[in-house]
Amino acid sequence: MEYENRPVPEGINVSAQHPLVDFAWMLAAVGLLVTVFVIALSLSAGWLARQVPMSQENSWAEAYLEANPRELSDHALRTQQWLQALADQLTARMALPPDTTIHVHYVQDDEVINAFATLGGNVVIFSGLLKAVDSENALAMVMAHEIAHIAHRDPITALGRGVAVALGLSAIGGASDSAMAQQIVGNVGMLSGLSFSRSQEHAADKAAIEALLAHYGHLNGAATLFEELKKMEPRLTPEFLATHPLTDKRIARIAEAAATAPSKETIALPGWLR
Amino acid sequence: MEFIVLLTLLTIGYVFGRLAEQRHFASIREREQEYSDVLAFSARFPPPTTERIDAVLVDGNVVVAVDYFKMTAAALRNLLGGRVTAFETLVERARREAILRMKANARAKGASQIFNVKLETSSIGQGASGQSFSVEVYAYGTALVPTGTAK
Repeated sequence: MEYENRPVPEGINVSAQHPLVDFAWMLAAVGLLVTVFVIALSLSAGWLARQVPMSQENSWAEAYLEANPRELSDHALRTQQWLQALADQLTARMALPPDTTIHVHYVQDDEVINAFATLGGNVVIFSGLLKAVDSENALAMVMAHEIAHIAHRDPITALGRGVAVALGLSAIGGASDSAMAQQIVGNVGMLSGLSFSRSQEHAADKAAIEALLAHYGHLNGAATLFEELKKMEPRLTPEFLATHPLTDKRIARIAEAAATAPSKETIALPGWLR
Repeated sequence: MEFIVLLTLLTIGYVFGRLAEQRHFASIREREQEYSDVLAFSARFPPPTTERIDAVLVDGNVVVAVDYFKMTAAALRNLLGGRVTAFETLVERARREAILRMKANARAKGASQIFNVKLETSSIGQGASGQSFSVEVYAYGTALVPTGTAK
């Protein structure tokens, strides 16, 4: 017969590569590209953000504070003034960029054992932190750490990086049109971002140790808060997943610096403070 | 948490998708043998014949769902470029299945030849960013049925 249907040739559209192997290769390639992209974006956006003059940062922070006024009780106000005095003493020992003044804000929330530095030289201390520390030295370690973040201009750097990386990742993720691809791109991007965050924390710890040595002449009591935190959190997160270096490492760094310093008594916190 | 959900979806998609695909291919090969006497051609005109024949429209339609694993693999491939192997097998399955169903339709009508066979493809999308979709293949042609034998 003139007309025939030959059997359909097999294997034209079926590739020999195992789908999982193919998937792993693609994952590795996308992971690498996203990492390089995020690092490049972070470095350039961080650099750009640091070009913003401190005076500009101050005016943003002032505008925010004016729009969100806070009412403080007499005790809270007294505490805040005491904390401000401590910050001023430490600031005198640290190199701050021009136009930078440290403003301490006290927030009454016993549940939150935290302190953070933000735009415009503002440091926020939670009452939970005051309850958790056992000496002025331990508190000064945290305070100096936050001031160091401001001195290094970490808040504006983090903001610049955060915005640039979020935009960049959503641009790649959005182009891929799949929730899973967005998730993969987002997670890889976050991991590379975290290592920046950890190096900033390390630098802030280092500057804080130097400030404490200059102010008190010793490092006794500086690590007690970290030791307390370590007891509280059974830390299962590996370091590459965390924003801060491991508590153990931070304690070890303080101990290392303390080894060469003289040993003196710690200063107790005033009784009315707690 | 979100990551675990996605990983589960990915595993389900991979295991069931692969199983379904292997079974489908086996079934397709078997039925292609079975229907090898029904001939399908893309040529528009049948060869001249003295036999009296009727022309009957025959068709076959199939919708195959994309599993989550294939979708993700394709999304990653979209970023990198290259052959989307995950979809190639899927479309091949749909095409061959549609032709088989058309042949089954032709045989039921008493035909052993189909001319002017055409394939139409469309994707059935769903969700804001087309996150789950299926591929539809429609095969149709003109079957030649000897006059008086049409069922």
